[in-house]
Amino acid sequence: MDETPFQMDTRGAFSMPENHKFDAGYGLTEETIDYICDAKGEPDWLRQFRKDALRKFNEMPMPYHWAPEGIRNVDFENFRYYLSHGATPSRNWDEVPEDMKRTFERLGVPEQERAFLAGVDAQYDSETAYTNMREELQKQGVIFVNSTEGLKEYEHIFRPWFGKVIPVGDNKFSALNHAAFSGGSFIYVPKGVKLTQPLQAYFRINSESMGQFERTLIIADEGAELMYMEGCTAPQYDSATLHSGVVELVALKGAKIQYVTVQNWSTNVYNLVIQRGLAMEDAEIRWIDCNLGSGLTMKYPAVVLQGRRARGEVVSISLAHSGQLQDTGARMIHAAPETTSNIVAKSISIGEGRASYRGEVKVLKGMKGCKNNTECDALLINPASRTDTYPAITVNGNASAVQHEASVSQVDEEMLFYLQQRGLTRAQAMSLAVNGFINDLVKEFPMEYSVELRRLIDLEMEDSIG
Amino acid sequence: MDFPQNMSMEDAFALAEAEAKLNAALQESKERFDKAEMPNRLNEDWRFGRPHVYAKEWAALFTHNENSFEQIRLENGGEAAARLTAEDDDLRQTEMLMPTIGSDALLALHLKSFGDGYALYIEEDTKEPIRLGYVTRSVCAPATFIMVAPGVKAEVDINYGCLESGAIFATCNVQVAEGAELRLRTHGHGESTGGRCMLITNIQNMGGKVAHLTSYEGLRWVREETVAEIYAAGSETKLFSANKLGGDAVLDQHTKQIHHVGGATSDLLYKNVLDDNATATFAGNIYVAPGAHNTDAYQSNRNLMLSEDATVNSLPGLEILADKVRCSHGSASGPMDEEQLFYLLSRGIPKYEAHQLIAEGFLHEAEEKFRS
Repeated sequence: MDETPFQMDTRGAFSMPENHKFDAGYGLTEETIDYICDAKGEPDWLRQFRKDALRKFNEMPMPYHWAPEGIRNVDFENFRYYLSHGATPSRNWDEVPEDMKRTFERLGVPEQERAFLAGVDAQYDSETAYTNMREELQKQGVIFVNSTEGLKEYEHIFRPWFGKVIPVGDNKFSALNHAAFSGGSFIYVPKGVKLTQPLQAYFRINSESMGQFERTLIIADEGAELMYMEGCTAPQYDSATLHSGVVELVALKGAKIQYVTVQNWSTNVYNLVIQRGLAMEDAEIRWIDCNLGSGLTMKYPAVVLQGRRARGEVVSISLAHSGQLQDTGARMIHAAPETTSNIVAKSISIGEGRASYRGEVKVLKGMKGCKNNTECDALLINPASRTDTYPAITVNGNASAVQHEASVSQVDEEMLFYLQQRGLTRAQAMSLAVNGFINDLVKEFPMEYSVELRRLIDLEMEDSIG
Repeated sequence: MDFPQNMSMEDAFALAEAEAKLNAALQESKERFDKAEMPNRLNEDWRFGRPHVYAKEWAALFTHNENSFEQIRLENGGEAAARLTAEDDDLRQTEMLMPTIGSDALLALHLKSFGDGYALYIEEDTKEPIRLGYVTRSVCAPATFIMVAPGVKAEVDINYGCLESGAIFATCNVQVAEGAELRLRTHGHGESTGGRCMLITNIQNMGGKVAHLTSYEGLRWVREETVAEIYAAGSETKLFSANKLGGDAVLDQHTKQIHHVGGATSDLLYKNVLDDNATATFAGNIYVAPGAHNTDAYQSNRNLMLSEDATVNSLPGLEILADKVRCSHGSASGPMDEEQLFYLLSRGIPKYEAHQLIAEGFLHEAEEKFRS
């Protein structure tokens, strides 16, 4: 197939030699937490907080009764909980240690920053290597730092919301993150400030058996607007790697937050992420989510619609190859009247891949005029591909309307035949058909990402036809 | 053991053997029940079900009470029907092997009380529907077996009546042979709101056409498990339910459409109208086994909400492990359509009656599709 216009994207598939100043070793105990706190120079309340969370984590059961089988293989003893070069990020690429700088250069992060971003946070294993933001934003009072710095410098804003959207005891992985969190972003956009360019975080796992527990808190004050993008890659190792982040969004009255993820972890990564937003009156939160990588992803971005007329949306694309299970979905909790939400999820299963949609929509008692619309579509490419849909919908009362539709289909043979007849190879025809399937969702991603996304999907497809 | 005086040696042996088998079966059921866990939210993949409302009470009821039927009725049975006895070993065996998508403890509980009901071996077209009625004032656990021979068209109505605070725990095993057609209607009702009903139905479609409709009224709570297993290409399986719930009624429905082979069609439509404090839970699943290509399977749950305090939980699920499958599911819950209401009101129909009319019309769809 030499005429193929597609190229293999191997930009993430490399690793740098390990060179850590801090290494907390394998397993998570109180000593590990002391080690992390000492390395980061954290206050006592936080140390205690982490230890309480650890106790909760040990007490809580794994969600075996509903979670996919693959989660039984997660062995918490076999991960390294803190690896870093130091807790202070650089503001200038020249100060970033050479191997990290080279990593991010190969991933194209500095280039993108110059081209179209308002700010970048680049995390390497447990700590942020680089954070920077355009100067004019700093003058407007926008805060964009990593979580360690956020808790240190802006405790008065960070702490009141810390663990409020996703409490420690929410589930086992939330407790785990509260105990071991490191890295991630803290963003505060002041009243009425509207960011025209997106902020970006890049998560990179370099070391073997790494556990990355980033923690992100984004607060958009009244009337503020921002878009945040997140990209993830890791090299392929034989041993498993765990990524278990917590992302909390708070959109105060009339604010708008868009959170974009393009996840392309290697298949040895367990991607178990908790993302939840709180939307107050007239606020809007959108999760735009794309899962291409990882061996097992369990990720259900949520919006708690807490204020009148708040709006939540989840747009999700996932692609499961052989050896991959994408268990993705969305949650919408309508906790105020006249709130609306929309979920559009599309999944593609290739080879022996399995893509599942798992969602929850809840309209609480007494909430009038709530509306939800959910659509999930699945595309099966090969005979051994698998897809599942597990929605859960709860409606209280007679003043809300909720609807859910799902469908499963294949690529139409006639369409493929038509395209092949016009000179395309079968792979190209299939690729075109798949791109057509997700076309309306890809448009939701920022321009630079959607180009990237199409390319990634092209080459993922290429392997599967033959 | 006392034998009748004029009994032959052989008959005496046969009787002794039957009794020993029965005791062994009872013992086995008891052990199975003791071993299995009662349903709770961790061991049933059926979130939002209400086992805490009924599980304990149910176990106590059927552990301490014997079957007590107020009435067992059969109409138009002809040669097809045979009354079940506790010694019916083959059928007991069938029941023991009955798959359950809920808690095994519940099925074991039923087996402990096994011993009455009907087996229908339908080998000729039925002119009138065969009607079965099971009525109790205390507790009863009837079992029904329906086998429809190849090419035969049959219609069966089963009625479960709970007088006062009666409790019925029924199972129904259905097997439909190639080219056969079965229309099965199941209706559970209570005279006040004290009755309780649990129904486990297993339909095995070997290449025929099956339509099944369930409906319940006037019961305090109902738990329904319906499984349709599809074993032959070209078969058609349709599941319907239409219920109007009021008061504090709880309805838990769990369904599974299992496509073991490809080229078959299944369709499900479950509709509820909810008033007052009623709660309805629907947990459905379509499973398309590996290699069951060219399957068409649909599932739809629709709920009409009439009161502010009614609750609906809907979990329509799909698990597709095959290719070239056309599958879809939908769930919608919402209030009454204002336009329909306005139309009726503008024609002078009082509000209360207009509500009733719209609710009836809403449920009528399931009934109509069942009949067609």
